[in-house]
Amino acid sequence: MMAGVSALVRLLPVMLLVSVLTLAATGIGSSFMPPDRVVAALAGQGSRMDEVIVWTLRLPRVALAILAGAALALAGALLQRVVRNPMASPSVLGITDGAAVGVVLFLWLFSDQANNLTVSIHWQPLAAIAGAAAFGALVIALASLDRGSSKPLKIILYGIALAALAKAAVTLLIILGPVYRASQALTWLTGSVGAAHWQDVLAVGLGLAAVIPVLLLQRLTIRQLVLDPQSAAVSGLSLDRAQVCLLAVAVFLTAMATAHVGAIGFVGLVAPHVARIFHGQFRSGYLFSVALTGSFLVLAADTLARIIAPPLELPAGALTALVGAPLFLYLLVKGRQSHA
Amino acid sequence: MRRTAIALCLALCAAVVFSLHAGLTFYTPQTVFAALMGGEGADALIVTTLRLPRTAIGVVCGASLGLSGLLMQSVTRNPLAEPGLLGVNAGGALFVTFGVTVFGVASLAGIGVAAVMGALAATALVFSISASTGGAGNPATTLLAGFTVAALLASFTQTLLLIDETALETLLFWLSGSFSDRPIGLLQLGVPLLLIGAVGSFLLATPLDVLRLDDASARSVGVNVGVVRLAALGLAALLAAGAVAMAGPVLFLGLVAPHLARRLTDGALPSTRQLIVLSLLMGALIAVLADILARIIVAPGEAPMSAVLALVGVPMLIHLLHRRKGLAA
Repeated sequence: MMAGVSALVRLLPVMLLVSVLTLAATGIGSSFMPPDRVVAALAGQGSRMDEVIVWTLRLPRVALAILAGAALALAGALLQRVVRNPMASPSVLGITDGAAVGVVLFLWLFSDQANNLTVSIHWQPLAAIAGAAAFGALVIALASLDRGSSKPLKIILYGIALAALAKAAVTLLIILGPVYRASQALTWLTGSVGAAHWQDVLAVGLGLAAVIPVLLLQRLTIRQLVLDPQSAAVSGLSLDRAQVCLLAVAVFLTAMATAHVGAIGFVGLVAPHVARIFHGQFRSGYLFSVALTGSFLVLAADTLARIIAPPLELPAGALTALVGAPLFLYLLVKGRQSHA
Repeated sequence: MRRTAIALCLALCAAVVFSLHAGLTFYTPQTVFAALMGGEGADALIVTTLRLPRTAIGVVCGASLGLSGLLMQSVTRNPLAEPGLLGVNAGGALFVTFGVTVFGVASLAGIGVAAVMGALAATALVFSISASTGGAGNPATTLLAGFTVAALLASFTQTLLLIDETALETLLFWLSGSFSDRPIGLLQLGVPLLLIGAVGSFLLATPLDVLRLDDASARSVGVNVGVVRLAALGLAALLAAGAVAMAGPVLFLGLVAPHLARRLTDGALPSTRQLIVLSLLMGALIAVLADILARIIVAPGEAPMSAVLALVGVPMLIHLLHRRKGLAA
């Protein structure tokens, strides 16, 4: 009970930050809206114009940023646990690019001469999941075939190699494919929540909701994965099945997010580390804190991307890389020094 | 060894000749010959203004990257070192983009200076990060640092381009990494840099041979390890800068060429001097072949050469990772 309360207290600041940012992000745009009008519009008591702007233009975008950020961050946290490497993340392991391959392949295969899709666009997330799963499985397979030592590091290197392969495949498919689809795929690949609709929000939201029971069931495993393999085996944890299950969850989350917002990198890397510092990775509610941090990061990146050079919008993915890459380098230097 | 070099030379000549013939329309040798002899007409124009420049740029660019990769690999004793993967090319690309968008640089010399500065800066950054991780330049750590620095620099480049839309149009194509539609004048930049790199590496060949032993043994025979390492990395950066200025950032070429060159030596331990010659030739050959493939596989479109190279380079990278058991130790 006490542990729950203290975890809640620790979660409060980041919850507060996300709420404040939500209000700000909903207010900021080509016509600025002060917070009181935003709140009024949200409560259904604003002017008609305000309500249209808030409910159909800005809120879907904000909601999608929050949900996609949470999904990517959770995927990153799970991967870091399973792979036992704090540098793991969906984009470093090639899973994000795998999802991109799936989507571009889908657009290419199911377009007719007139550039219309021959099947419903709602199958697109499924294609993303297939691509992400294929590349995830490939990375794991390569790493497990490797008889050498230090697998946690090797798996990252294999991931980088396969990510490069996936990028090349995407480029080729875009060039091979119909021109209209190509330009659509390109905007999507830069990683942006700009074209959000409520149905995207619903899809990612449902995906997250589906994952929560699994995470609750596996919460002991997730905590125990921090232990080294030997002690985990002694404590009676069937690591392989648990690992596979968590990997599948991570792949699913990555694919859902990537299918709807594109390849926003480095969130899955950064969020678990920030949450570790401000929340502690052994406290209950750690994963919740990770998810909120991810929401905050993507929402902040998207809001910044809108206000840096209006009326232009930068892709949110470019801004998350600016934060994420230096952190990764820091981890690299620090981790290695402590080993040496 | 001499026979291998001659065979490679012949293969390169054949590839170059084929490159003049191949493309959207295949020409007969007579047409190409007539065009080179100053013939007129549409066909001659295509051969002399499109195919000849891209082939020449491919040769120079490939040779530069092949040698640059060899220098990085031997100086750091790291089989994974390569200007593309280590972010050196991304550094050159960022500085060129910065020069064009912020300072309005348009001259060849300006672009060249920017590319050289960027490549040197990125090299310094990546290798100082990898050195500061303790244990002089662990291969895996260097690769990770380079990969991340490359991602960071690329996202800067992307941001700059989005802010300046006119630059986007001129630079986007260049940034995709390709030999086609490049002004032939770029060779005035690439050839001198390649010459400096080649002559410099020949001068460094003997100390580099000694450096294959461990640092202590190299020091004991009177090699100034620090100076040699710095000079070789500097040359590698210069070579990469020339290639970036000509073709944009190209990945994997610098990784693949030296390894294939080593394969050709039949398990004998080749001297650095021999490897330099073979890497130059192999780099040029791969570049020309990749460029031909890029023209053919998605005809009538044109595939980015960088994608073609990745399709070859990734399996090779995975193979190298697999073979080196103690890599990350």
